[in-house]
Amino acid sequence: MSCAAPQDVDGRVSPSYGEIQNNLKPQAMTAAILTEGLSKTFGRTRALVSLDLEVPEGEVLGYLGPNGAGKTTTIRLLLGLIGASAGRAEIFGVDCQASPVQAHRRVAYVPGEASLWPTLTGAETLHLLGRVQGQVDPGYRDLLIERFEIDPSKRVRTYSKGNRQKLILVAGLMTRADLLLLDEPTSGLDPLMERAFRECVAEARGRGQTVFLSSHILSEVEALCDRVAILREGHLVEVGTLAQMRHLSALQVEAEFDAAVPDLSAVPGVSAVAVDGNRVRCQVTGSVEPLLRVLAAAGVRHLTCREPSLEELFLAHYGAAEPSSEATRAG
Amino acid sequence: MQAELAFHARRAARVVAVTTTRRAARSGALWGYVFGAAVASSAYGYARLYPTAASRAKLAASFSGNAGIAAVLGPARRIETVAGFTAWRIGVVLTVIGAIWGLLAATRMLRGEEDAGRWELFLSGQTTRRGAAAQAICALAGGLAALWAVTAVLTVAIGLAPKVRFSIGGSLYLAAALVAGAGMFLAVGAFVGQLAASRRQANLIGAGVLGAAFLLRMIADSARGLAWLRWASPLGWPEELRPLTGPRPLAFVPIIALIAALVGAAVAVAGRRDLGASALPTPEAPQPRTGLLRGPTGLTIRLTRPGILAWVAGLAILGLVLGLVAQAAGNALSGSATLERAIRRLGGQHGGAAAYLGVAFSIVGLLVSLAAAGQVAAARGEEAEGHLDHLLARPVGRARWLAGRLAIGATLVIVSSVVAGLAAWVGATSQHEGIGIGRLLQAGLNMAPPALFILGVGVLALGLWPRTSTPVVYGLIVWSYLVELVAAAVTTNRWLLDTSVFHHITPAPAADPNWTAAAWLTGLGLLAAVAGVAAFRRRDLVSA
Repeated sequence: MSCAAPQDVDGRVSPSYGEIQNNLKPQAMTAAILTEGLSKTFGRTRALVSLDLEVPEGEVLGYLGPNGAGKTTTIRLLLGLIGASAGRAEIFGVDCQASPVQAHRRVAYVPGEASLWPTLTGAETLHLLGRVQGQVDPGYRDLLIERFEIDPSKRVRTYSKGNRQKLILVAGLMTRADLLLLDEPTSGLDPLMERAFRECVAEARGRGQTVFLSSHILSEVEALCDRVAILREGHLVEVGTLAQMRHLSALQVEAEFDAAVPDLSAVPGVSAVAVDGNRVRCQVTGSVEPLLRVLAAAGVRHLTCREPSLEELFLAHYGAAEPSSEATRAG
Repeated sequence: MQAELAFHARRAARVVAVTTTRRAARSGALWGYVFGAAVASSAYGYARLYPTAASRAKLAASFSGNAGIAAVLGPARRIETVAGFTAWRIGVVLTVIGAIWGLLAATRMLRGEEDAGRWELFLSGQTTRRGAAAQAICALAGGLAALWAVTAVLTVAIGLAPKVRFSIGGSLYLAAALVAGAGMFLAVGAFVGQLAASRRQANLIGAGVLGAAFLLRMIADSARGLAWLRWASPLGWPEELRPLTGPRPLAFVPIIALIAALVGAAVAVAGRRDLGASALPTPEAPQPRTGLLRGPTGLTIRLTRPGILAWVAGLAILGLVLGLVAQAAGNALSGSATLERAIRRLGGQHGGAAAYLGVAFSIVGLLVSLAAAGQVAAARGEEAEGHLDHLLARPVGRARWLAGRLAIGATLVIVSSVVAGLAAWVGATSQHEGIGIGRLLQAGLNMAPPALFILGVGVLALGLWPRTSTPVVYGLIVWSYLVELVAAAVTTNRWLLDTSVFHHITPAPAADPNWTAAAWLTGLGLLAAVAGVAAFRRRDLVSA
């Protein structure tokens, strides 16, 4: 690792990220994306604060956050379109800021707002972007054109916003690049095209391509992604698989009784108890066993148990005013 | 309450007229000042440079019957008088400028507004398509009225000067003749804007009409026995109005008839076609042309080719025209001691046609510099619009992209300046003027170094402060030209004069080019460009 080892509050040198990685997985492949303390400041706005993130090869990562959270800033830093204020980033082991051209050989980028050359036709645009990338799968390109129902003979000027977005999606996907950097790629697409897009991401995953999917469409992320990273005001507040995240968060329990509702407030792990006649609603963190014992003893008639949806997980991160500093060290 | 609602509804229905009239009138009035300034400079300049009857007779003798001059400026009538010279000197020039203004204003305010989607808001309200077009045309008529009014007031004021002495009626008539071209091409623009599929296409068709009309007029005015052909060209009619030299108001008949017919047709077509659609069949599904689309530099050539061709063709035509009139203008210069002194002060050593070309080529220098500035603005535009992201997110180096654009800009500068010199030689030689081709090629090339310097400064600004790059290059050109035009006449302060990039080149072919200064300008420009590319590699991309 060429960078300085991070230091903790007392100034002691802590083992670097790379060292930990090597200790845990001595035979680890190069990560598709690796960032260390990546930060970007625009004037007085801190757009991205010390991002540490590793995306292993072959993973589909959902990058979630509301507008202005720093999703696009992250992708533009990874592409070297803007310079980092601090920290570093690598794509397949190549420093994105120092050698962007080399890093881009294995990357396809799809922006969320397609501003293309209005005088070129769709076919000319695809030809140009394919030649510039230096790598195209022509058969797959034609399949994509068909799947997204694009008329490539028209000038880009005459395309609707949705059609321009489809064109730029095809331009990115047709290269079969090892890493797809997708920045809200489905903005302006109708539900049918959204489904075609999901098909493409599934295919990419099947071929072992890595996908970095920035989005604020939670159902899309829930359906496609292996892991989810949640960003808030430039801070990474949560990273993990959906199962891990759900495990850490509360289970929603609803029970109905023949007799009176027992007092649940003293049961370990139970919170947010709400009684409505002979029905009760509550949340459980940790083991459900103590709760089940009390419910069974009280003669429960009907019981539903539900894991939180991604939406509930996501919204849970936006209740607090300030992101806690330890949460940025998730992962 | 009811009345108030009805009032608002009426206002809403006239919203196109209200918004467009204000813009058209402002634009028309602005150009009215330019027209007035042209009348003033022509009338006062003539009175000052040719104060005696003898010098005026000599001038008339050298210009009358010269076919090259007549092709450019129209037939010279009674140019031994202030009135005759003024009407002749500015007639064709202002008619063509007015026609270009009219064409662009009409397509902008009718088709441009429609293309930008602003009419959709109005048309979803109280206004019909036909009504919107009619209102916009009325507004353009307001713009034409403003152009005439300002021109007329200034011309009357100039005409009151004792050395000039135009009659008030003659001044008003002259103003009407000068704006006739603007009126006709406002109508042409309104009509072709309804036929074409976009403003760009409308401008192309309109420019074709203007070019054909100009060519016809050129032939009619220069070839003996073909004067009747003047009636076949709309640009010939304002000449036949003959302001200040024997007015023929009957020539207003075809002018007004043409305007009425085109306006009527424009309104009729506007009512029949869909918003954003074309009345002409549009060539859809063009064959993909991928020959140039192999990399960033090929893309730049593809995108800037129409502009590049227009600059080179424009400078070729300008060079040709300057060459055509050089001999006659040079002879006329010899008659004016004041002008000869002015040329000697600029560093000119040769007299006659070479002296005239030395002064006139400053326009070539200005235009070549503007072409260079346009290349800087286009490069910044690619970044601001977000197009550049698509290239730089792929394996394209920033230095490669910017260096490619720089090379294309430098090639444009050198080719267009050499072409201007070559065309000037062709024009001059056709009039049996004996200036050698070498001297005129050098005179053309002499105009490249300031433009190369501006290109380099533009790249430096693009690398350091991207949002300022376009204002910096255009500001530098305007400043330099103002220093040349104004300051050079009133001051000899070297520090001030040296801030003009144009001050460092000699008025070739009136003097020999100063290759040392040219090398300095080019070298400094190159240095600035290298620094600019280095800075561009390090900075963030910045959108508009």
